[in-house]
Amino acid sequence: MYQLFFTPAWFNGFDLVFDIIGLVIALLIAAYSWRVYRISGENKFAYFSFAFLLLAGGLLFKSFTHSVLYFTPLRDSVTEVLKPALGSKLKFSDLYYRAAFFLQMALMLGGWLLIFFISQKSRQRLTKYYEVSQMALFLYLILLISIVANFNYFVFYLTSAVILGMTVLNYYKNYLNTSRNENAFRVMMSFIFILIGNLFFIFVFIFESFYVFGEVFMLIGFLLLLSAYSKAKKGKKNK
Amino acid sequence: MSTTKRRSRLELIYDILLSIQNKGGVIKPTHLMYKSNLSHKLLNSYLDELLGKELVIIEEIQHKKRQSPSKVIKLTDKGSGFLAEFRRMREFTDAFGL
Repeated sequence: MYQLFFTPAWFNGFDLVFDIIGLVIALLIAAYSWRVYRISGENKFAYFSFAFLLLAGGLLFKSFTHSVLYFTPLRDSVTEVLKPALGSKLKFSDLYYRAAFFLQMALMLGGWLLIFFISQKSRQRLTKYYEVSQMALFLYLILLISIVANFNYFVFYLTSAVILGMTVLNYYKNYLNTSRNENAFRVMMSFIFILIGNLFFIFVFIFESFYVFGEVFMLIGFLLLLSAYSKAKKGKKNK
Repeated sequence: MSTTKRRSRLELIYDILLSIQNKGGVIKPTHLMYKSNLSHKLLNSYLDELLGKELVIIEEIQHKKRQSPSKVIKLTDKGSGFLAEFRRMREFTDAFGL
């Protein structure tokens, strides 16, 4: 059976819980951003909402494929039932995993990239033709990377780390531009944690336990995003 | 070179509503124009939108000294609620660099 990389067996299941928490947080931010878009009518909020939907989609596919991989008894019994009917065709199940991993990677990379674009402080971003064409080129590269990463998984995490690194820089600028706003700091820190998480994932092939560190850092990152979101939703009373 | 930042549509609406609230919920149109730093034409177009959404209302006030009544713009309860929502949205946009 095809697997991206091997993870510590004792951690199987915990990562699913972590990813589902991340998924819920991403959906909350997407929903609120959509609400802001409905009120303001500004496209950047719709793009931001879409970016977090892509992340949620990526995490959903990740959780789904990993849960099928982890629950061996269920998988084996399904295989036993299907064997008489499908016979040798069962070997094509690899295609299913590759397709699922491809979708997971394409959606996650698309989400990170869109957040990076939105965090760029250029005027009329995402409206000019050249920016749209730039995005189309990046989308092509994302699809390409997602295919290649099915054979060399670290390409996906390396690309994510590069995009996240640039996003962290943008959020550092945003933190300074907002007169060191507490929430802007939280958002910057959350992306730093997510970046560290992705850096750990790159080196899982050296040390399996790096997967655990990666998942923990990702979870902290998403929890910080949740904290920034909930603080923002409460709002400042005197402004 | 000017260093002033162009306000977004959201910020303009926020500034208009905040100007009215800072004046105790009632303001004269000319005062609002100066406070929100908008042209007459632009302010009217935004006011039409705010009136349509029932965030503000226009009332006529009769003065003792003047014969003709003057118009004032009043912030509605819905407008006050909207202003609170705007503050939360601003906090969200600041935090996420939007």
